[in-house]
Amino acid sequence: MSTSPESDCRMPEAHLRPTAQASAAAAPALCLARRRLSGIGVLTAVGSLLIPLALWWGLAAIVMHLRHVAFPGPGETALRFIELARGRLLNDATVYRHIADSLQRWALGFGLAVGIGVSSGLLLGWSRLLERLSMPTVTVLQLVPGLAWIPIAILLFGIGESATVFMIAVTALAPIVINTTAGVKGVDELFIRAARMMGANDRTLFARVLLPGSLPHLLSGLRVGFANGWRVLVAGEMIVGTGTGLGYSIIQSRWTLDYAGAFVCIAIICAIGLLVERGFLLPLERRTVERWGLARAG
Amino acid sequence: MIELHQASKTFANEETGHFVQALQDVDLTVGENEFVCLLGPSGCGKSTLLNLVAGFERPTAGHLLFEGRPVRAAGPDRGVVFQDPTLFPWLTVAQNVDFGLRNLGLDAAERRRITDRFVSLVGLADFARSRPHQLSGGMKQRVQLARVLALDPRALLMDEPFGALDAQTRDRLQDQLLDIWERDRKTVIFVTHNVEEAVYLADRVVVLAPAPDGITADVPISIPRPRNRYSEETREATMALIGVLADLPCCVLPSRRAGETPSRQPAITKPG
Repeated sequence: MSTSPESDCRMPEAHLRPTAQASAAAAPALCLARRRLSGIGVLTAVGSLLIPLALWWGLAAIVMHLRHVAFPGPGETALRFIELARGRLLNDATVYRHIADSLQRWALGFGLAVGIGVSSGLLLGWSRLLERLSMPTVTVLQLVPGLAWIPIAILLFGIGESATVFMIAVTALAPIVINTTAGVKGVDELFIRAARMMGANDRTLFARVLLPGSLPHLLSGLRVGFANGWRVLVAGEMIVGTGTGLGYSIIQSRWTLDYAGAFVCIAIICAIGLLVERGFLLPLERRTVERWGLARAG
Repeated sequence: MIELHQASKTFANEETGHFVQALQDVDLTVGENEFVCLLGPSGCGKSTLLNLVAGFERPTAGHLLFEGRPVRAAGPDRGVVFQDPTLFPWLTVAQNVDFGLRNLGLDAAERRRITDRFVSLVGLADFARSRPHQLSGGMKQRVQLARVLALDPRALLMDEPFGALDAQTRDRLQDQLLDIWERDRKTVIFVTHNVEEAVYLADRVVVLAPAPDGITADVPISIPRPRNRYSEETREATMALIGVLADLPCCVLPSRRAGETPSRQPAITKPG
């Protein structure tokens, strides 16, 4: 891969800037995952992991010295992680239960966002009229900060699972719609003509030309949408009444003072994010866009 | 088989609000099994004419009939070979050829048989599972030819299909095209701005000038087939055609090299 990791990390769409800003925190983690390991690459990868660990450790030491509060360092967090991994309860549930519940909510919300986002993006990209009618709404949608959806989610669904799923879906939706629309609009008119000339009906055109043709953009949308949804999980689980989930556990540490436990949850959230990026989005990109010779240059 | 009566095409430029007259009052009849080359400089409306016949665009005035019926939309009865390779990058060579066959509703075994046959016909059996980006320009054009031939179209519409290729590859593909054409003699409209190419391939060369001039010459090429591109006859016919072109207004003379700038802009008129 000739592209530098930095260039891989840039946000491709200018109109995504608000989202890009919001996801700035997630970007370095995702980029780390996209770097291919080889020789010096391994060293830099190890280094890039050691630097934040060292900073964390230093910060914990300074805070403990100055403020005399128990700021968990990497060591304490690791110990707590081992405890929890052995099945010690965190807020009346195992860490596995928290992970499973969070993943389930996220999968449901993100799945909804992908389903609705991709299909409406295909339509918006196809019809100028629909795009002009609906794109302002989508743009506004993505400008709403994740937390601002809390009252709306509660009003719509009450306190419970549906509200959380809604929050994940609604924050993931806009970037998926916007990028799919851009992708469809970017499909070369000649491809559409060629398909029509070979007798393609509308369904074939969407499924076998517009969808694959918009995939490079679509993948960017999935990346941003995934990160949005995953990040809003914490906010979403604040309003879930069931008392499980990684986000819930982080919030709950205010009362239980189990900060090491909260740090473990934060680390798990980051790790799962990396895993989805490396285990799902990156392979998907390799298997499609790169294999077709469509990878964006530089 | 293909008839244009006083066909015109005007494009509106959305930015300037001006109208560009691409074709004006063009009359052209192409007979069954005829190989017609449409010759003219860039920007003279050759591609527009082809797009009308293909059904990608509708004439703004006049009539356009294909086999006696007005052309309403693109369809597999008129196979188009584009200048730019328009193979779907997400499909393999075989899948690209198969794309149109699926739309015909054939069963899998039948589709496979036809795909294999036409991929082999253009000599790409070894590349059936390659992706378009792994092929050379000439190979891509051969796949384009295969995918439309597989649909057994009534006519082939070719828009400078070899214009972007190097001379050697172009010669080879011309021969290959003639080989294939000799077998079932489909009706062909072949757009080019290369005089030698037109003479070598065509039964008839139609010279198109920018609107409002339209068709300025219609020259039959009666060299017997198979032709030899270096024979005295071919050279004489080429010289004769260049002579015809030289008698036309200066700006009509087609450039002989690919990629030259248009010698004259299409007529621009104010709206209303």
